[in-house]
Amino acid sequence: MEMSRREELGDESLVAQAQKGDRKAFEELVERYKQKAYRIAFDFTRDREEAKDLSQEAFLRAFTHLDRFDQRSTFYTWLYRILVNLCLDHRRRGQRVAWQTFEEKDGKMAEEKQIANPTSSPERQAMSGEISRKIGAALNLLPSKQRTAFLLKNHEGLSIREIAKVMQTAEGTVKTHIHRAVTALRQRLAELV
Amino acid sequence: MTKTATLRTACKDYEQDLVLYYYAECSDQERARIDAHIRDCPSCAGFLDELRILLPLTVKTDEPPRPFWESYSHELREKLTLAREIRPWWHGIFSFLRPFPVPALAAALVLLLAVTLTLTKGMWRTRDVPLKEEALLEVLPMAENLEFYKSMDFLDSLDLLEDMGSFVESGTA
Repeated sequence: MEMSRREELGDESLVAQAQKGDRKAFEELVERYKQKAYRIAFDFTRDREEAKDLSQEAFLRAFTHLDRFDQRSTFYTWLYRILVNLCLDHRRRGQRVAWQTFEEKDGKMAEEKQIANPTSSPERQAMSGEISRKIGAALNLLPSKQRTAFLLKNHEGLSIREIAKVMQTAEGTVKTHIHRAVTALRQRLAELV
Repeated sequence: MTKTATLRTACKDYEQDLVLYYYAECSDQERARIDAHIRDCPSCAGFLDELRILLPLTVKTDEPPRPFWESYSHELREKLTLAREIRPWWHGIFSFLRPFPVPALAAALVLLLAVTLTLTKGMWRTRDVPLKEEALLEVLPMAENLEFYKSMDFLDSLDLLEDMGSFVESGTA
């Protein structure tokens, strides 16, 4: 099948073709969702390499278990579910980003930005790094479910319905998780308001 | 934490709705109700303003350069190739059955049970008690009957004695 023709196909058709063994169809799905998948993994890890590994692993698992996908949900909610579970497992296994590690990573990224944008004043960069560290720590203190629901809503802009499908829970529960996450973040980041 | 005290407190009944309102996750009717409320409620209006300042700050984006994405796709293609090569032989069988796993398994079990019961009909016997106890249960009523017959014999003997007694009495008379 020609590349341009494949690009025009919807996810459902690509999944159906991939299930029949068309590897190129799956690669098209990868191209379509790699940036979003990476962004979600980055929200959880705040580390470029870890985000890359986790998002690639999610695609790999989706590929090897593609025959289990029954099209009752959309491909991307199924993929995001795999990815979120991987990110949560990664966190649970003790490789989670600790307070100090968060600080180090955010500090390093602030330095990288300073190099990339030398016109920005060092004081401003330092302040931005400090705020980023506090936000990272506040997010890291949220319980897993609240954090997941909040990140998918606030960072990725998924609808409550989509988040409920990804988290395999009721929409009302997602609303409660988001509300509690926002309340906790307001308390912890009061000084930023 | 002195700053915590300066946070706006929304009306309790509106707090969750205001969060959903911020994310545009409420119906038109709900939106109109909240709009009407925040016009007259400075606390809830302030709460919403704080969300508008705070929540965008929590988003941290990362924009990797173009080479990153090129190597990302290249690496993933290699991993996909490897994953296909090491797929076990039985995977194909399971993947064939997978769309209907539970009904297929249930049907197979029912069929197996039906065939087993049909072929072994008459071979199975329900036995609630062990053999020894069963034999004892058969003997016990017989033993009880034996006692009964013995007592009947005794009564017969009494009758005989009575008859003998009355005979002797009539003889002496």
